[in-house]
Amino acid sequence: MNTQSRGGFARRARPLLGTIVDIGVRAGSANATPIDAAFAEIDALQRCLSRFDPASDIARFNALPAGASLAPGTATLEVLRAAQTLSVATASLFDISCGTGPDGWACRDGRLHKLHARTRLDLGGIGKGYAVDRAVQRMIDHGATAGWVNAGGDLRVFGDIELPVSVRDESNGGARPFADLTDGAFATSHHGGAHVSVAAPLCLWADALTKVVALSGDASHPLLARHGALAWLH
Amino acid sequence: MRVSLATSVLAVSAAAPASAFAVDYLSFEQAAKLMFPDAETFEVHDVALSAVQLQQLDAQGIKARSAHWSVRTAKRGASTLGFVVFDEVIGKVELISYAVGIGLDGNVRQIEILAYRESHGFEVRLPAWRRQFVGKGAGAAIKVGEDIANISGATLSCTHVTDGVRRIVAVIAAARRGGALA
Repeated sequence: MNTQSRGGFARRARPLLGTIVDIGVRAGSANATPIDAAFAEIDALQRCLSRFDPASDIARFNALPAGASLAPGTATLEVLRAAQTLSVATASLFDISCGTGPDGWACRDGRLHKLHARTRLDLGGIGKGYAVDRAVQRMIDHGATAGWVNAGGDLRVFGDIELPVSVRDESNGGARPFADLTDGAFATSHHGGAHVSVAAPLCLWADALTKVVALSGDASHPLLARHGALAWLH
Repeated sequence: MRVSLATSVLAVSAAAPASAFAVDYLSFEQAAKLMFPDAETFEVHDVALSAVQLQQLDAQGIKARSAHWSVRTAKRGASTLGFVVFDEVIGKVELISYAVGIGLDGNVRQIEILAYRESHGFEVRLPAWRRQFVGKGAGAAIKVGEDIANISGATLSCTHVTDGVRRIVAVIAAARRGGALA
C-alpha cells in the first residue's frame, strides 16, 4: 500500500559529505529527533571517511609512509571491506585508490596497511552510500516509521512510502521524473554524457555499482544481481 | 525494494522535458530557533563593514561581497547566545538559501539549508527567475506544491555554501572586533 506519497513529511537539509543532504521523516510518527540523529551520524562518519578531514582514517592513511599501518574505526573498516570485495570482483575496475595503486593498500587483522608510498585512498565512490544507510538505520532506531535520506543523489527510502525520484540533467540543469521507489536505494552517476542509475536494497551498493556500470559500460554486470540491484544507462 | 519507472523513461528519456526543481525546508525564523532553542528573542542588527574592515577580510582571502550584512543576535534576557545570518548562493543551475548559526566562540554552530531551487542554468542567472523566490523565507510552507520528489544526480556540490559559510564567519568576527555586535 502506498500511503502518504505526498505531504505529511518533515524535511530538512544540511551541507554534508561535499553535497547537500536532504532528510525527510513522516510527521507525527516521531518528532525531529530522527532527523537530528541522522545528521549527527553523517557528521560523525564524515569525520572518519573524508579525505579532506586531516584527522580522518583516510587522510591519516594517505599521510602514512609505505610499510606503516593504522587501526581505523569500525565504520571505515566496513567500507574498506566492501571496497576490497568490489575491487577483487571487478579486476580493480572499482578502485578507491583512483589509479594510485589498487594493490597499495590492504586490510588485515583490523588494521589498514599501506603497501606503496604513492597510494592515496578516496572513498568518494562508496562512502556517501554507506553514510546514507547508517543514517537510515539511526532514524529507524529513533522511531521513524517512514522517510528518506538523500545525499546529493545517493538516496534511500524506507517504510511504506513510494518516493518519486527525478534524475538531474547534468548538461542543462532541471530534472526528469525517473521512477517511484519503495524500500530501497537509488544512485546516479554521470559519465561521458550518459547517466548511470542503479537501484539496490542498500545505498552502499547503489552508490558503488553506478561506478562499476559506468566504467564497464555493462548495465547487466553480474555484480548487480549479486547485490539485488538493477541498472539503467540513459 | 520496489521500483516503478516513469513512463517517460520507458519511452525516450532524453525527449522528456526537464522541469524545475524546488524545495523549501525551513523559514529563517524556524532555522534560528532550531539553532538557538534557548533564545527568547532575535534582535536584528544591520552591520556595515568599513573600507578598512573589507580590506582586512580581503587580505584573509575573503571576498565579503557586500559591506552590509543583516545579523540576528540570539538573546536570552540581557545575555547574547550567538548570531544567525541568512545568505543565498548561486551555482551553475541552482539557487540555495541557507542560514548559519555562530556561537560566541566564533565557531559555526549549525548550518541549515532553507530552500533549494534548481532549473536550467540560464534561468538561474535571470533576475526574474530569482525574484519569484524573494521573501519566501519568512513563514513559508515547508514544501512546495506538497511535492516530496527527490533528485538524483552527480554534480550537486555544496562548494558555494561552504565558501559562503567561511565568508559569514569572517564577517561576524570582523563586526565583533569592530564593536558592531555585542
